[in-house]
Amino acid sequence: MMGIIHSFRAALRFKGYKPKPLTWLAAKRWVMQFDKKDRKLAEHLLDSVIYISESRTREILIDQNAALMRRLLNAGLKPKQLIYVQVHDAGSSSPVMLNLLRDAAGLERMGCRFVDAHDSMRLIKTMNEVGEGALIYVDDFLGTGNQFCAERDFVATTIIGTFSEFVLAPSICEEAIYEISKRGVEAFTGHVHSKAERPLHANSSLFDNEEKERLELVCKGINKNGALGYKGLATMVVLYRNAPNTIPAVLRGSLNQTPFKGIFPRTTDLPIQKVV
Amino acid sequence: MPNLKPMQPVVPQLIPAGLLRHLTVDDVKPSSNNPRHLFDPDELEDLKKNIAEHGVLVPITVYQAKGQSKFSILDGERRYRCVRDLAKEGRAGKDGQPLKLPANVVEPPSKIAGLLYMFSIHNYREDWELMPTALSLKFVMDDLETEDNRALAKLTGLSDTQIERCKKLLKFPERFQELSLDPNPKTRIPSNFWIEALPVLDLAMETSQTIKELGRDRATDKLVEKYRDKKIKSVIHFRRIMESYDISEDDPPTRAKVLRRVEEFFLKPNLETRDAFDEFVVDKKRVLNALTACEGFLTELQRFRLTYTSSDEERQSLRKALKQVQAYCESLEHALEGRDDPEVQQD
Repeated sequence: MMGIIHSFRAALRFKGYKPKPLTWLAAKRWVMQFDKKDRKLAEHLLDSVIYISESRTREILIDQNAALMRRLLNAGLKPKQLIYVQVHDAGSSSPVMLNLLRDAAGLERMGCRFVDAHDSMRLIKTMNEVGEGALIYVDDFLGTGNQFCAERDFVATTIIGTFSEFVLAPSICEEAIYEISKRGVEAFTGHVHSKAERPLHANSSLFDNEEKERLELVCKGINKNGALGYKGLATMVVLYRNAPNTIPAVLRGSLNQTPFKGIFPRTTDLPIQKVV
Repeated sequence: MPNLKPMQPVVPQLIPAGLLRHLTVDDVKPSSNNPRHLFDPDELEDLKKNIAEHGVLVPITVYQAKGQSKFSILDGERRYRCVRDLAKEGRAGKDGQPLKLPANVVEPPSKIAGLLYMFSIHNYREDWELMPTALSLKFVMDDLETEDNRALAKLTGLSDTQIERCKKLLKFPERFQELSLDPNPKTRIPSNFWIEALPVLDLAMETSQTIKELGRDRATDKLVEKYRDKKIKSVIHFRRIMESYDISEDDPPTRAKVLRRVEEFFLKPNLETRDAFDEFVVDKKRVLNALTACEGFLTELQRFRLTYTSSDEERQSLRKALKQVQAYCESLEHALEGRDDPEVQQD
């Protein structure tokens, strides 16, 4: 009975997860894949997931952006001096977040500028036109920060004029905060994801060592090399449009969802649908 | 469920310009251009020891970009790096507080001043792509309404050669320039490609009616396609084309053959540079002769065991002659820059 209640609760909490919507039955089936002795542990792991829904994402982006704009306005920068930069290819999370923010906050009407970090020519021209202002990189989640920093470091070689740099994202891992602050880029985020919040991370004490080992073993059975996610980050943040690749394998499931079905499969984990 | 705790950096204080502040390393933003190869590690180590003993005696110069809480360095990156490394090693100041950097806080630089700073970084970073520098130079040329190399060199600190190279890049239409700004180094066309291809394009446009009819942009496209298909294995190979043309000057039948080959090279996608032009280039023998000449010259000069001369007139003559040799050697060495290895990314 308790298991069913937990499954219902999970389906409600994680409502709106895009790659594969979660039903209470799917949540129940996910738990049932574990050995009987590990099922409670799996439920506890699921309780530690930090889910950021679409409305919450919009809310965080708008709030943080408003705070950033206030600060920049006080420093003497007008909206038309702000260049919003998407840092990954079209179709990935960064442009989606930027579009969401642009429309919700009416940035275009205010005269803000939007550039793709890959379009260096446009970026250089825009910076030359603006001369002094702020570069605001927008993304959904930063794990290690490596990917973001690689993109930003390339942008840095083309910076013309005097620009302060910021990154706006609903959630950022503490590892990434360290990496970006080394570069002098300041983070505006709704949530700093600490290691302590991640039950399977070595630095967390949410689970004891024996519990961690049991779940890690299941993860290794699913993905030997990426058991705890990319670089072993074992993060617990799940965004409505996709889970980051830094989450433990038990949450994502096997590739093509066979044999282990994940509760938050990434779009790339799902089997390809045949077009009839 | 864990709470979502919003995080926003602390609002910076407004700092009047020209103020001397004592900053910690956390207050300072390293150079955006991350010039980690700029500094001699031995010199840096000496400076670090000195700072560990006496502290930073000469203030660094910083500015605060609008809205940024950290200070960006205008001058003093080496001192900053030393203090940062010392702080990482757990060293504290004499008062037991974190190590401090005395800093003159000045107004943010104007756009032109910022560009000049960027040029000074590019002066050191030979491994950097030249295209962003070229585009920045264009902004400077437009703003100051001058294209004079001497004026630009004086203003930007770039050498005459660098300015010439930038100007060559600027001769290409924007859609080609963009290919050198590709963030992905695997698909990026190196800036050197355009610099080396320019004389070949000029030659083809001047001497071949077919290429002229094709148009300069289409001809450039053909070269880019060839490069991507590895039919131009190294950008240095463009020099073989020009060399073939130059050395056939006194031999009209060979010259005509070279020009036909140039046309073919543009029109046949599978024709590889070396396959097309190696027969005209006799470089091996000339290189061997040059090597022998270098060795002979050195041996001869060393044999004189010259370290001084009592005659001022003789000394001046000898120094003048040596400078001429030096200048020629430097120009030759510069002309030979680059690698012929197709696996090595040019520029």
